[in-house]
Amino acid sequence: MRLAFWLYEGTALHGISRVTNSMKGVHTVYHAPQGDDYITATYTMLERTPEFPGLSISVVRGRDLAQGVSRLPATLQQVDRHYSPELTVIAPSCSTALLQEDLRQLAMHSGIPEEKLLVYALNPFRVTENEAADGLFTELVKRYSKEQEKTALPSVNILGFTSLGFHLRANLTSLRRMFRTLGITVNVVAPWGASTSDLEKLPSAWLNIAPYREIGATAAGYLGERFGMPAIHDAPLGVEPTRRWLEQIVEKINVIAAERGLPAIALPPLRAFSLDGMSAPSGVPWFARTADMESFSGKKAFVFGDATHTAGVVKFLRDELGMQIIGAGTYLHRHADWLREQLAGYLPGELVVTDRFQEIASIIENEMPDLVCGTQMERHSCRKLDVPCMVISPPTHIENHLLGYYPFFGFEGADVMADRVYLSCKLGLEKHLIDFFGDAGLEYEEGAAEHAIVAVSLNGEENGAQGGGSGALNAPDSGADGMNWTGEAENMLKKVPFFVRKKVRKNTENFALEQGESCITAEVFRRAKEHLGG
Amino acid sequence: MMQVPGEVQIIKEDNVTHSFCGLACVGWLYQKIKDSFFLILGTHTCAHFLQNALGMMIFAKPRFGIALIEEGDLSKSEPTLEEIIAEIKADHNPSVIFLLSSCTPEVMKVDFKGLSEHLTTPELPVLFVPASGLVYNFTQAEDSVLHALVPFCPQAPAGEKKVVFLGSVNDATADDLRAEAEELGIPVGGFLPESRFDRLPAIGPDTILAPVQPYLSRVAVKLERERGAKVLASLFPFGPDGTRVFWEDLAKAFGITVDLREREKAAWEKIRQQTGILRGKKVFLTADTMMELPLARFLKSAGANVVECSSAYINKKALGRELQALEGVKVVEQPNFHRQLEDIRRERPDLIVTSLMTANPFVGHGFIVKWSMEFTLMPIHSWSGVFTLANLFVSPFNRRSKLPAFDEKVWLEGVMPSAEQVQ
Repeated sequence: MRLAFWLYEGTALHGISRVTNSMKGVHTVYHAPQGDDYITATYTMLERTPEFPGLSISVVRGRDLAQGVSRLPATLQQVDRHYSPELTVIAPSCSTALLQEDLRQLAMHSGIPEEKLLVYALNPFRVTENEAADGLFTELVKRYSKEQEKTALPSVNILGFTSLGFHLRANLTSLRRMFRTLGITVNVVAPWGASTSDLEKLPSAWLNIAPYREIGATAAGYLGERFGMPAIHDAPLGVEPTRRWLEQIVEKINVIAAERGLPAIALPPLRAFSLDGMSAPSGVPWFARTADMESFSGKKAFVFGDATHTAGVVKFLRDELGMQIIGAGTYLHRHADWLREQLAGYLPGELVVTDRFQEIASIIENEMPDLVCGTQMERHSCRKLDVPCMVISPPTHIENHLLGYYPFFGFEGADVMADRVYLSCKLGLEKHLIDFFGDAGLEYEEGAAEHAIVAVSLNGEENGAQGGGSGALNAPDSGADGMNWTGEAENMLKKVPFFVRKKVRKNTENFALEQGESCITAEVFRRAKEHLGG
Repeated sequence: MMQVPGEVQIIKEDNVTHSFCGLACVGWLYQKIKDSFFLILGTHTCAHFLQNALGMMIFAKPRFGIALIEEGDLSKSEPTLEEIIAEIKADHNPSVIFLLSSCTPEVMKVDFKGLSEHLTTPELPVLFVPASGLVYNFTQAEDSVLHALVPFCPQAPAGEKKVVFLGSVNDATADDLRAEAEELGIPVGGFLPESRFDRLPAIGPDTILAPVQPYLSRVAVKLERERGAKVLASLFPFGPDGTRVFWEDLAKAFGITVDLREREKAAWEKIRQQTGILRGKKVFLTADTMMELPLARFLKSAGANVVECSSAYINKKALGRELQALEGVKVVEQPNFHRQLEDIRRERPDLIVTSLMTANPFVGHGFIVKWSMEFTLMPIHSWSGVFTLANLFVSPFNRRSKLPAFDEKVWLEGVMPSAEQVQ
């Protein structure tokens, strides 16, 4: 047992509902106590669904348990009457899983034909969101996919796109645009927007595209084994991976075209993939080479997230922007081995594998990287430390459901990622000016900010609380870790640009500790500066 | 569907609905009781609920957390929480820890009472709060929290006639209620809960308990039984009508006769524009926070046509006056959401007051909607809350009237790929 405040992954029930909420004509009935359908709010509020998600609850009350009553059959009948789904997935929650009821038997009492019901009972104490979603999706693919004639023209299935996925809509749009440019038809996208009859015709595509390691890869594996369908498992994250991904698609499609005696397709000129069809498809290669981006090369980045995005972003930062990777990690134990393989040669140390956000926060605090790519939680941790952070991975958050087009996949995705790195880090000539002159006039802004806080506290009613707030702002300057700084050393520290001051303070104190110094004098500070390379 | 006997007809259904469990109350109570820690003995589900549905983001070290039951813990006879309590103590030094139950340990038959007694030390009480979704709905676990606090309320001597307000409200609202009472000559004993555990009000045989939230019937009964306190049976102080009756009744309990009709009239006058909009509007409350009855009564007084007032649980004694005032309104306990959907499609209400889970889909169906949860988090009490209360109901109408015409076929296309078609 441990004290938890926040978790990266959702529950098995959440994974199940992500799949069914993605699909047409598929409903989930939670066999669960009041409140376990809170998950519905994540769809209606984050995805702002204008329809009722296909999620109902058959409420289990304490009294029902005592009396041996189950509302499941009646709820199934109601769902059938009101939504007439082709399939209803019945799932217990953590508490009802312990009751070890025969849900299949109970469900049969509803009189609904067995082929319209699927009891998906996982061990919710072992299986979490992604595994449950991947598992259910695979189960549905097994249940519905049928041997089919291949489509006459080249076609693909796009697998693993799931409700509440990270930048899901934009990523899908990005992929659809690329397939259109290639002249390849999209046969089925699943589970997002798919019906059970769409799943049936999955085997008619020539090729499966399963870019997410977490969801869809297993189903693509099954379709390969069962129907001999080839698959591409890479994610087109970054410019070069996108090029390789396109080449792979063309190659695989052409193998089938040759078998079927059809003409080969060719990769069109890259300009064809640009938004206007007449320019470079991505600005990243040139952007990374420009003289003012020289300052990228020394930047230290730490990356943490799910498996797919952590792998892709580490490679993008190092291979395409020339940044230095000081570490990476994932909260998905299940995919840690895969990620280690992917990142062999990229990391200076071991891959960090943990689902405790506090551990990641303390790594960030100790390392003070120039850039953190993480989840919403790392964004919060970094805000406290003034460390630049960009969000590159689920769990999803309302800020990942913006209206604009911000894909991570494809050439446009590379541009979006590079823009976010640029906006997050402090770069370019401006940085040199600040480094060289110390404050570059920005000191004034810091002062102004403090004035602003005072003004708020004077206008606001909660004077005391606000006063405490500005006091806390000043606190770090007086040695938060209890290490003493002489006045002279403090003055020297003040000449360091304010936005790296916390980091320099921390590094200097680490250096002093290593050297067995208990107090930071001007001399220690100078030595630390030399040691740490200015 | 069955009929519950009694004066007012309450239709009782099967509770196939969308709402939160009792753990939701942590969202406001940990902020209200500032020297407390809320420890939930629960699972991944409980943690995911708090961080998602309530949007409770962890910035630093929050004063609530989940003692996470993992697979290995299922085989253990009793959970061992000593280390977790020590961690909480070291990080927060709270005056009290509320130990909340959830569904899984309830199914495991964890002896919460024994557990909390075992963990309690003279310096740091650990209080058991039943909150699981097997029994408790949304706001209902606040009742459990107050219930647990009762033994820590000092005994007020006989003859000490004061009012103690029952229910958590923010500090500004508490100040308003106190000032209003004192102006009427009513001595104030305090609030349950106060904003600190060490400042709980004294309660005794001459205490008048004035419930200001409509979901606290168990603690009221307990205080009646154990301390001989008297519970005010009145309307809840929401809206000009409820507020007048509440204060007049409370004053009467202290032998003070006041006539607040002028005050009520002035309050209605202040929201004349809002009631102008609400008059004749068909309003449907789907059941969520258990504040539905007093809200529906205010709407009725404001001239709205309440076509259905549903609530998860209706205590006929605690809500007796509200039920009387709702005479003629269809009142449903533990409603069935599917039936409500059908009725709503037929009745076409002008406004639906509903949960976070169902609000946007109703908007997608062309309805005007208000989040029911907002009423639990806004200062809508007494005279000072009248304006806020009325505006909460009216703002969706105003906003809708400012937006351009909306062609669903155009603007909802592809928004929900899982739906067959927008009807």
